[in-house]
This record gives sequence, structure tokens and C-alpha cells, in this order.
Amino acid sequence: MTTTLGLDIGSRTIKLVVWKSGATVMTRKALTSYDPIAVCRELLHDAPTGPLVATGYGRHLVKEYLRCETISEIKAFAVGARAVFPSCRTILDIGGQDTKAISLSEDGRIDKFHMNDKCAAGTGRFLEIMATALGLSLGDFMTEALAAETSHPINSMCTVFAESEVISTIARGIARPAIALGIHHAIAARAVSLLERVSITEDILFAGGVALNRCMHKQIENKLDRKVHAPADPQIVGALGCALLAAKNV
Amino acid sequence: MTVFNIPGPLINDRYKSDPVGRFLDYILKRRGEGAPVVGLYCGYAPVELIRAMGAVPVSLCASAQRTIPAAEAVLPANLCPLIKSSFGFIRTNTCLLYELSEAVIGETTCDGKKKMFELISHLKPTHVMDLPQLPDEEDVRERWTEMVRKLKIFLETTFRANIAADRLEAEIRETNKKCRLIDGFFDYVTLHPPPLNWQELYDVIGLDAVTNSGELQSLMTGISRTLDERIAAGICFGTPASPRVLVSGCPIGGDASKVLKIIEEAGGVIVALEACSGMKGYSIRIEEGTGDPLRAVAEATLKIPCSCMTPNGERLAMLDEMIKRFNPDVVIDVVLHACHAYNVESYKIMKHVKERHALPSLRIETDYSDGDVEQIRTRVEALFDSL
Repeated sequence: MTTTLGLDIGSRTIKLVVWKSGATVMTRKALTSYDPIAVCRELLHDAPTGPLVATGYGRHLVKEYLRCETISEIKAFAVGARAVFPSCRTILDIGGQDTKAISLSEDGRIDKFHMNDKCAAGTGRFLEIMATALGLSLGDFMTEALAAETSHPINSMCTVFAESEVISTIARGIARPAIALGIHHAIAARAVSLLERVSITEDILFAGGVALNRCMHKQIENKLDRKVHAPADPQIVGALGCALLAAKNV
Repeated sequence: MTVFNIPGPLINDRYKSDPVGRFLDYILKRRGEGAPVVGLYCGYAPVELIRAMGAVPVSLCASAQRTIPAAEAVLPANLCPLIKSSFGFIRTNTCLLYELSEAVIGETTCDGKKKMFELISHLKPTHVMDLPQLPDEEDVRERWTEMVRKLKIFLETTFRANIAADRLEAEIRETNKKCRLIDGFFDYVTLHPPPLNWQELYDVIGLDAVTNSGELQSLMTGISRTLDERIAAGICFGTPASPRVLVSGCPIGGDASKVLKIIEEAGGVIVALEACSGMKGYSIRIEEGTGDPLRAVAEATLKIPCSCMTPNGERLAMLDEMIKRFNPDVVIDVVLHACHAYNVESYKIMKHVKERHALPSLRIETDYSDGDVEQIRTRVEALFDSL
């Protein structure tokens, strides 16, 4: 069986998946940094070799360097999602700087997709900045929000304005957990309205780095009033889709 | 693989693909002959009236990022880039065409523009036309005709000239001839795949501003010959599998044409440009021989389906015609940042093309900066992947 590789060069994290004999045999992740090519080189240097397909913001950068095929993230996620969740019809991916909602037809073709506007409002980067404004690590930010008894609404969705809003909310003496939960509410609401644009069907997959956030997962389920599936490793769905497409091309 | 290298110039004269050089030479030549230059910002300004006076209408600079920082020293940053860029050009004295203009005509198409005109009106004689924006109202033609009449008085007073009805009638015939020529040329983009790319399409659009109908006729004969040769030699842009793209929305010349470049790089072929900067105006004819040429000109310009009109049913009708003629696979609606009218109307456009024509669409909100090129690329590539 041929070994194939999928590389997802995201705005915050680079993900590598190696696929062989119908199974994932290796996954690797690293922060994208200012030099994504060097990070890719590091991820690949002792990995098995084989046909590679790349996706993500850095795909055009590595295209020449790795002499590989590139595909859009929408396609990568559509393929990867069906591999981790075969009955999947709706995908929500919240990554470092983009949020995508994709609906799939019964046979897995892309039916509709919507992405956030170009600004990073409501994405992983937004969460990171809000956590920092509250003086918390990303993990503690989620834990505090999960433990919160009340929620304080945050209205701004522009990262810069929201940061100011959080700072002035702190200055008004609002408890940190309530602010943390308010931020989660705001992002979940935004994600749900994006999902509504592609018409939500059952079997929803939540992927991307933000799917690691259990509070966000819970908020989205609450707002949709239905179960949302988050895979064991939501970050590698795009890279997995690439590796599978590379295998299909062989 | 899509072929993007241009096989040879489409317009085979000394300007070839230098539309700016062609434009400047024309204006300087006409000015040398004593014709005054009148600057315009929008298609609602009736150029026939200006030409009938023996003057040269020119579209003023409005689509470069480089003049925006200077504009933002005065204007709010959260404003349409077209308005900011226009104002920045004037503030930095870098629009040669504005410098050459002896008068400027504006319209009340949007709030941002009309307030910007207030800030430049002391620099040169500036006339603002009050555009009625409810096109279905009974008295709309009367009201706009009155505004065109006021423009005539402004021009005649400012330039101490007389605009004779027979001269205006002659210019109406000229415009119609030129529009028919360019509209006929668009037949080449209906081919699948087309024998020309969007830059060449843009080079031809606008030739009517720098030619009379006789000159345009001879240029078009050469263009048709080149295109027929390309067709015979099998030269085309894209492959039969390349998605055919209709681009709608705000005017997107200058730095906003990054979107067109991205569409092409993603493997798409642009087959129709709906915006005012594109094909929209060439399908409109001015009624000839009415005995009231001023009114005829007013009625024709009022047919431009700008999103400032409400309701703007004419835009949907024009889109239907374009979709029928150019057979796009997708519609990409490009909205300039803070252009609320086009932005809100985008929802209607996307719904209409989906329901009426079963076409997928994508809305791109952008400005003249290149900071969002990769984000736009991701969305366009994803759209093509989903076809």
C-alpha cells in the first residue's frame, strides 16, 4: 500500500497526517511561526515519504517548495470530515483566523459553504486575545467559562473593540468567569448564524482548533439544541482530507 | 491548465495594451485643440451633453490604495474606498485628470460621495446633480430631466457656451453607435472558452471614451480580426472545464481588480462584468429623434440600475439578460467596504441567481488594499471546488 501525506498549513498551526493501508499512521502538529516552510521541513524531515497534498493558508507557499498538489480547505475538510464521521452532513470548522460552515450532500459532495468575513472576529485568534485580556491561558479561559454561574454579554465582535469592551467590563468589577462565558456565548452565536446560512442538517461535525474547547462545544450544542460531534483530534481533519485525496490520486 | 499568456495584442495600434496612454494622449490632444475637460465621478452624468458643448468628459481617478492615507487625514476611515481614494487624489494633487478638469460633475448617488463633494467644491466649479432614487415613481423622469436641464445651464454658464439641440441629438446617435459596437464585441465572451481575458475586455470597455464612432469602428474591425484569428488558431483562455464567472457589484477598476486577478489565478474565466465599470452601461440605448434630446438623455441615464435605486428591479432584469447571454457557472458579487447599498442588495442578488438560475454565488467585501488577497483566494478556490 502506498503511503500518502496531508499537510494543512493553517494560520496558527501546521498539521501533518500520514496515511497508510487505510489508517492514519502518524499525526504531527507545530505552531506556524513566521517561517512556515522551516516548520514544514521540520515536520517532514523524518516522516515517511509519499505523494503529498497541501491545504491551508500556506499552501501556495509550500507548493513550489514541496512540489505538491494544493486544494482549498473546504474540499480538504469535506473529505476529512467523512473519514472521521462517515454520516457527516454539516461541518463547522473554527480555526485560527477563519470560520467555515459547509453542508454536504448525502454522497459527501460540497453542497454549500460559508465563511466568516475576512476579519478574524469569532475565530481561534479572537479567543486567544480575549484570554490574554483576562490574564488567562487558553485552557484556564475555557475552565473558568465552564465553571461560570452567570454570563456577562460581550457585544463587540471586532477583536480590537472586543478587547476594549472586556477591559472596561473588568474595570466595572464583573467577575472574570462571567466575562469568559460571555465571550464563549458570543462566538457560539456567530458560529450558529454561519451554520444557518448553509442550512443545518443532522450529523454535525465540529472541527478545527476551537473544537478542542469543551465550553464552546457545549454552547454550540445548546444554541442548536442538538448534538454536535467533535472528533478525538479536531485539528487534523483538513490534513487527513489531504492525505486521503493524495491516496485517491495514486 | 489554463492559458494566461496573451498571444499578441488585441488592439494592434501604437498603444496596444496601454489604455492609460491612449486616454491621456486623447485628452491632451483634444485640450490642445481648445476643448475644455469636464471631470466626472459616475455614469449618471450625461456625457452627451458635455460632448455636445465641444468639451471632453473624463472619469476621474478613484481606485488606488496609495491616496487613501492622505484622505483619511480628513475623511473617516470607515468609508467606501472609492470615495476616500477620489478625495485622496485631489488632496495630494495626483489625479492629472482632475488637474486638467475645468469643472466637475457629481451626483447624490450615496451619502459619502455627496458629502465628499462639499469638501472639494471650492477648488473648481463643481455641480452636484440630485438623483431621484425611487425609479418606479411616476414623476421620476420629470425630476431627472429637470436636473439634466440644470446641468445644461451650469455648463453653458461656466463655459459661456451654448448646447444646441441638434448637436445633442448628434451626440446621442454617436453614443448609440459606439454602445452597439462594444455591445456586439461582447459576443466574443459568450464563447466557451472565450478567446480573450478580462484585462483585454477592460481594454476595450472604455474605448468609447477616447474615440468617435468612426474611429471606434475601425478599431473594432481590427479587434474582431485578431479574435477571429485566435479562434481559428484555437487560442482561448481557460479550458471547457474552467468555471465561467460573472462578476457583479461595485465598480472594480484599479486596485480592486485584484479580485479579478485572483479569480483568474484560481482557474476561473471572467465572462461578464456587471458593474458600472464593466458592461452594464453598454446595453442601454438613448432614444433617437424624439425632438427632445435632453429628455431622451435623461431617461437613458436613469436606466442605470445602481444599488442606490430602490427598489432596484432593473438590476435583476439586467442580470437575467447577462446570465442568459454569457452562461456563467457562478456569480461573484464584489462589494467595496462600507458601500451599504451594494452590500445590502447582495443578499437579493445571491438569492435571485440561486432561485432563478440555480447558480452558486459568493459575496466578497473588500477595499483597495492587498491585505486580504489570501483570504479572498481561499474563498474563491473553495467556491470553484464546490462546483
